[in-house]
Amino acid sequence: MTERTVDPPPRPARGPLLGPADPAASPIRYPLGPLEPPVGPPRTPLHRAERCEGTGACARACPTDAISVDRSLGPTVVELDYGKCLFCGLCIDACPSGAMASVRFEEMAVRDRADLRLRHGPPPPPLAGSRLADEVRERVRRLYGDSLAIRAVDAGSCNGCEVEVAALLWPRYDLERLGIQLVASPRHADALIVTGPVTRNMRLALEKTYRAVPGPSFVVAVGACGISGGPFRDSPEVEGGVDRVLPVEVYVPGCPPSPVSLLYGLWLALGKVDQRLARGEIPADALRGPPR
Amino acid sequence: MTPSAEEGEEPPLEPAPSVALAGDFPSRPTPAEERRSLGALGLDPVWDPSEDLWRVDVPPEGWVAAAVGASDALQHPLSTLFGEAPREAPGTIRVHALFLGIRPSGGVHLRCALDPPRPTLPTLSTTLPYVAPFERELTEMFGVDVSGLADRRPLLLHEHHPNPPLRPGPASAPDGRRVEYSFRPVEGEGIYEVPVGPVHAGVIEPGHFRFQVVGEKILNLEARLGYTHKGTERLFEGKPSDLGSIWAESVSGDMSLAGAAAYAYAVERALDVAAPPGDEVVRGLLLETERIAFLLGDVAGIALDVGYAAGAARANRLREAAYQTLRAATGSRLGRGTIGVGGLRRPIRGNLDPDLATTYARWREAIGRLRDEWLGKSSVVDRLEGTGEISRWVAELMHFVGPVARASGLRIDLRHDRPYGAYVGTEVRVPRGLTGDVRARLVVKVEEIVESCRLAEEFLRRLPADRSPVESPRPPTPGERRSGLGWVESPRGEFLVHVTIGPDARLERVHVRDPSFLNWPAIEFAVRGAILPDFPLCNKSLNLSYSGYDR
Repeated sequence: MTERTVDPPPRPARGPLLGPADPAASPIRYPLGPLEPPVGPPRTPLHRAERCEGTGACARACPTDAISVDRSLGPTVVELDYGKCLFCGLCIDACPSGAMASVRFEEMAVRDRADLRLRHGPPPPPLAGSRLADEVRERVRRLYGDSLAIRAVDAGSCNGCEVEVAALLWPRYDLERLGIQLVASPRHADALIVTGPVTRNMRLALEKTYRAVPGPSFVVAVGACGISGGPFRDSPEVEGGVDRVLPVEVYVPGCPPSPVSLLYGLWLALGKVDQRLARGEIPADALRGPPR
Repeated sequence: MTPSAEEGEEPPLEPAPSVALAGDFPSRPTPAEERRSLGALGLDPVWDPSEDLWRVDVPPEGWVAAAVGASDALQHPLSTLFGEAPREAPGTIRVHALFLGIRPSGGVHLRCALDPPRPTLPTLSTTLPYVAPFERELTEMFGVDVSGLADRRPLLLHEHHPNPPLRPGPASAPDGRRVEYSFRPVEGEGIYEVPVGPVHAGVIEPGHFRFQVVGEKILNLEARLGYTHKGTERLFEGKPSDLGSIWAESVSGDMSLAGAAAYAYAVERALDVAAPPGDEVVRGLLLETERIAFLLGDVAGIALDVGYAAGAARANRLREAAYQTLRAATGSRLGRGTIGVGGLRRPIRGNLDPDLATTYARWREAIGRLRDEWLGKSSVVDRLEGTGEISRWVAELMHFVGPVARASGLRIDLRHDRPYGAYVGTEVRVPRGLTGDVRARLVVKVEEIVESCRLAEEFLRRLPADRSPVESPRPPTPGERRSGLGWVESPRGEFLVHVTIGPDARLERVHVRDPSFLNWPAIEFAVRGAILPDFPLCNKSLNLSYSGYDR
């Protein structure tokens, strides 16, 4: 290598390197401690059946068909699928009666795909899901409860989910404080977290990666794409969701899910916390302040 | 591709500092001079205000002469090339080549109509080598036979498609048979191949790298992409023009705001609407905040790859603060669903912390301190200097864009060269490196963060005091076919969106040219002659988008 001059830097200013601590960047306790008060306008859509006039404007506005309005049964049935939702808010803008509102809610991950579907109307049909049996879940908790190695696989995502998965390693979220590591090889992994709609071109690589993970193992599907194909679900170039290819243990909705949503999803997968979303209903205690 | 001429050749020794800020922008022809030059080539251009380009229709036999004329006589590089199946002339294929000029120049938009059943077009890649990937895509997506194109391998598709996917008709599904694909052979004693990917070791996107190595030295690298191909351009078709930003945001999800803005500008230019000035200022503020967050990720990544964990942690703390600022303003950490056609989807100004300007000022200071501490560590600097060099000559020849080009000494930045929105009438300082190595890219990116903070502070000052939301103009239903071009300097460089909108205001064709589509060959140049363990560092310093390339 050639000799080069290194410009002598000025001495760093005295005091902490980053100046006054930025509260936004300081470490959080969650999920070991309480959830921090969320910032910013709410983005999680909420359907309030008592205000719904059944216009269907929300369903027409939705770019991913996450909302359907069915009048064939007589009373209007509104179905909202958080597994397809991009949290774009177009349904809220479109709703003339204020039935669609938004709340701040990040603990959205579920074990059963059907629990992401909110259905307001007559009783829902029986659920069919890909649940692991309870004893297997107990085994996962026993095996991995204090030490989990995860391999992240991008199965064709836009790189949005990768930003948030990578953020788990930043000082604020510091995944490793929970005994969870992201590892380089599937051979070292206990679980896969998979993002993206599973493109045709990534399907084989995803299957091979899954087979390379020693069992027992489980899969977490991340983001609208990983759950349902998201905005790409109509493309012939994608499979339309991780569970079309692999058995999925936990679904983490979002576009992309925030790091807190991901932490909750991993905690749920480890059996450390109860699922909060049941058949798409956001628990009342999670609604901080009135929906708007 | 032949081994490049700069191999083994040292770039000129560079005196510190490695970033120059004073201007040396070359003088450019005015639109009137452009018109005369095109006329001298025998072309009859028409000014297209929705693109700010001179539009010329040429026959296939005049294609090469016109394109070479635009790039040689006017010194405009080819910015993008794409096909379209025009609705008004069913069965035909129209090929577009856009050459964007730098103000005061406009640029040139060449169009060429090809006839069925075997559309044929001569290649431009013999004179403009970086055009080859565009032509490979044109071949596989539209079935155009590009005569003279040396590299005829598929670009994005890994399976056979019975019908070219972007030809009109029902969406063509792949048939499950995998296409043949062979890497360029490199042979000789002691040479071995290292295949890497598509699944990589970190939390990054998928792609395959094939290294030919002797000992630890990389003789050649070839990247094969397409793993994240989602058929995005086809998904735009038929959607209402105000809904397309959903897909534009998901081209490169880590630059959602830039994608949405480029798309919005394209539709606004096509339909001749303009966002309210206050909304433009907010767009500028959001775009600069996205750039800060994005580039801090590159800074952190470079730190991590040289084992400088403390630097990475500090950069990532700042990055988190930037994403939270976006979330506080928009509700989404990536700013999704915020920039719409005609302005902002929802009012932002009321969400802005009145003290926000001091936050940006604090970041500006913090990143400056981080840079100073960082560049004072010889063990860090030693890994960066001379690593992954891309000469100015290669950067210019291959038309690299964004920080990659600027680190190699090219002074190109759309915020300065073709200002849009809030950047009109705003002074943007464009930092530039000289050595084109990882150190230059790091320093350029740091200087860009500093400049973005300064711009954000300026935009905050310019925000109208009245915070009540302004009604955005509703895009009209045009009643005729319209097209428009949007351009944004994204964190990775020039991001282009070209839209064709039908009389019913639905999208007929959307072409997205992510900056990484031009920049991907940079990695192959950067690692040539380097040692294999320096690959991650080179890769991180270039930060190419896989999804943006594959779409």
